[in-house]
Amino acid sequence: MSDVIKIKKGLDLPLTGAAAPTIGDATNIRRYAVKPTDFVGLMPKLLVQEGDLVKTGSPLFCEKKDTRICFTSPVNGKVSAVVRGDKRALLAVVVETSDAESNEEKLSLQLSDAESIKNAMLQTGLWTALRQRPFGTVANPDSQPKAIFVSAFDSAPLAPDTDFVLKGREKEFAKGLELLAMLTKGKLHVSFRPGQALAKAAQGISNVVCHTFSGPHPAGLVGTQIAAIDPINKGEIVWFMNPQDVAVLGNLALTGIYRPERVIAVAGPQVKNPQYYRIIAGASMEEITKATKLDLNTEGNGFRYISGNVLSGTRIAHDGFIGAYDSLLSILAEGDHYDFMGWLAPGFKKFSFSRTFLSGFSARCKCSQKAKQGNGPKFDTNLHGGVRPFIFTGAFEQVFPMDIYPLQLIKACIVGDIELMENLGIYEVEPEDFALCEFVDVSKTEIQSIVRQALEQLRKEAM
Amino acid sequence: MNKLRSTIDKIKPNFSEGGKFSWLGSTFEGFETFAFSPNTVTRKGSHIRDAVDSKRAIFTVIIALIPALLFGMWNIGHQTNIATAANWGFWYEFWFGFLRMLPLIVVSYVVGLAIEFTFAQIRHHEVYEGYLVSGLIIPMIVPVTTPLWQLALAVAFAVIIGKEVFGGTGMNFLNPALVARAFLFFSYPTHMSGDKVWIAADLWGTDAITGSTPMGDMAVSGILNNSALEMFLGTIPGSTCETSVVAILLGACVLLVSGVASWRIMLSVILGGGAMGLLFNAIGANAYMQMPFYYHFLMGGFMFGAVFMATDPVTAAQTNCGKWIYGALIGIFAVLLRVVNPAYPEGMMLSILLLNCFAPLIDHCVIASNIKRRKKRLEVKA
Repeated sequence: MSDVIKIKKGLDLPLTGAAAPTIGDATNIRRYAVKPTDFVGLMPKLLVQEGDLVKTGSPLFCEKKDTRICFTSPVNGKVSAVVRGDKRALLAVVVETSDAESNEEKLSLQLSDAESIKNAMLQTGLWTALRQRPFGTVANPDSQPKAIFVSAFDSAPLAPDTDFVLKGREKEFAKGLELLAMLTKGKLHVSFRPGQALAKAAQGISNVVCHTFSGPHPAGLVGTQIAAIDPINKGEIVWFMNPQDVAVLGNLALTGIYRPERVIAVAGPQVKNPQYYRIIAGASMEEITKATKLDLNTEGNGFRYISGNVLSGTRIAHDGFIGAYDSLLSILAEGDHYDFMGWLAPGFKKFSFSRTFLSGFSARCKCSQKAKQGNGPKFDTNLHGGVRPFIFTGAFEQVFPMDIYPLQLIKACIVGDIELMENLGIYEVEPEDFALCEFVDVSKTEIQSIVRQALEQLRKEAM
Repeated sequence: MNKLRSTIDKIKPNFSEGGKFSWLGSTFEGFETFAFSPNTVTRKGSHIRDAVDSKRAIFTVIIALIPALLFGMWNIGHQTNIATAANWGFWYEFWFGFLRMLPLIVVSYVVGLAIEFTFAQIRHHEVYEGYLVSGLIIPMIVPVTTPLWQLALAVAFAVIIGKEVFGGTGMNFLNPALVARAFLFFSYPTHMSGDKVWIAADLWGTDAITGSTPMGDMAVSGILNNSALEMFLGTIPGSTCETSVVAILLGACVLLVSGVASWRIMLSVILGGGAMGLLFNAIGANAYMQMPFYYHFLMGGFMFGAVFMATDPVTAAQTNCGKWIYGALIGIFAVLLRVVNPAYPEGMMLSILLLNCFAPLIDHCVIASNIKRRKKRLEVKA
């Protein structure tokens, strides 16, 4: 094992309500959905109709340009809805199952080389769990990645504990790593926290390199890890995968059964019973949010349900479906309340990375302890101010750990200067890498959207 | 509070798009968000946001300016008191200074904000707070005897030519407060320098009172009339609120503790100025060069400039490395201009304006090294 890589720049937000290490009951979920909107740049071609019977792993839609890439049903059941939005864009294919525990089909697979692994993943739809950088799209099966990355821990606010999530699935995880490592001529890099139990499972697998990262968020983002281990240059491609999907791959190899099982955390400051649930990918959150007790004593109106973390997740309805790459449902109080002379108040309960509020003086050292006692700062979805041009400088650099000038890159993205973006390292980043910049930004600019738009512009140019 | 809120909600539709007073929308919004932090929620991207906004950050700078402002008010009265031997008490000195300072502040704010509100209205965006700082700094760095019409003209020039033509707050490349001062300095030099402008005449007196600043002394005769302690405390003639190093350092503490201004810039300005001062000490060709180097920090606008003007984030260098270079060069040029160029006794203003112009170039060079590193990495691979 190599030395610990210390990430110094970043910020751990002291949100309360992280999931307790218990698993709640989620056996009565009947509705599942695969959402094309979860996949960057996807042009879906629908393959089923409402009323069709589908099995686990049978395709629902595929990528128009590469029909090998199929998005498959996570369960056995019937297509109950094909949801379309503006201009008939496909938003979701909903599958309703009569019995979640229906018998699963056993595939006979010989996973011995890259080609067979690739084919098995494409066949089951597990391929779509493998993404590439730059651009964050589903990996192109024909491309040659210089390396594959797996971040085996999540450092985002309220993130699930990967050790707990994969408890009992260590063997599958190791097997998955072994297979994944065969897909690249380079290395498979797996990153852990110092002292993470799961790290033992990844030892001694050929072509797998383990790394240890310490420090605040975004240490757990795969982008941070790529930048620290083997940064992407123009023209290079890396692949990455979430640890739970690695275990699904391992399970497929060990048992021949494709079962996109996932343990998700349900968490948030107002959640009274934050805990984990064992679900199948794409599950409806209706039953889970019904079982979740919320503290209704908030300043604003209602709650926001976020598939993913509070910094870069996607808003879903309370009965919406968990995103394809997410293993966290964050619940936040809406912040649609006014604050009398908010800019003037001392602000003991406000969290700020700057020290312009009195809370800031204790915030950096004691916040996490205070938060545990329930006296910490409050978080909701209030924007806390109006949108301004970039005025203040210096904060982005303190929360952005890569060797990139964040403000300058964002400005290059805004003006759409492709050469400048390339020079400043656009291929190394994804919007989520800028989530903390967006959080601390005084000018309240929507930085992640700007970066996504710029990446899409580049992707279309490259096609 | 609820009453105020409901009143605002009731009249708000009149100022929205299509309302009777929609042409005053930005103005209304400016006042509304002044009273209540808005109820806007995040739409895309990060669902939670930092509690800080530009109002809060700007407000912090204003807090930081208050010690210097209060001291300056007292010192105006104090200087007149000494010059006229009027034998006033402390509070009368302060009151006198307050009355002298108030018109300057009012004129600066009224003229500047009127222009800001108008531009916000024309451009259909919220009123940006940036001018609240510039508008307070401008009266703080001019001689107390500045005629109000000149001040109004300078403010209008600074806001329109120095800022709005480039797109408004955040887009300007010159510090607006210094643009105003430079405008006054070059347009009305007799009102801005010499030894007849620094002390306010008694309320009833009409004759100008003579009182020279340490910088004037050094430039003219090379003999200082004030001790280092006096200059440190600020009980000397000078621009209204920039004399007291103590008060400015108090403000610097607020800025540094809150993290609103860059410590890199402040420190590097002082290091740059100190280094240049030491170099002149080593040469020692005249009295000004022989003056102890740290006197530069105590005289004129050096500290005020280092703490409040050089650190303006919009016009300063934006990369951390660039901030060091930018700050150091400001210090060096300020002392250089003071000692070597007899035409301009105060080098700080011109030095900051000069480096404002070069800040983008400095950043460009710093970033070029990052770009070069990235390209090299690619070449090594290939």
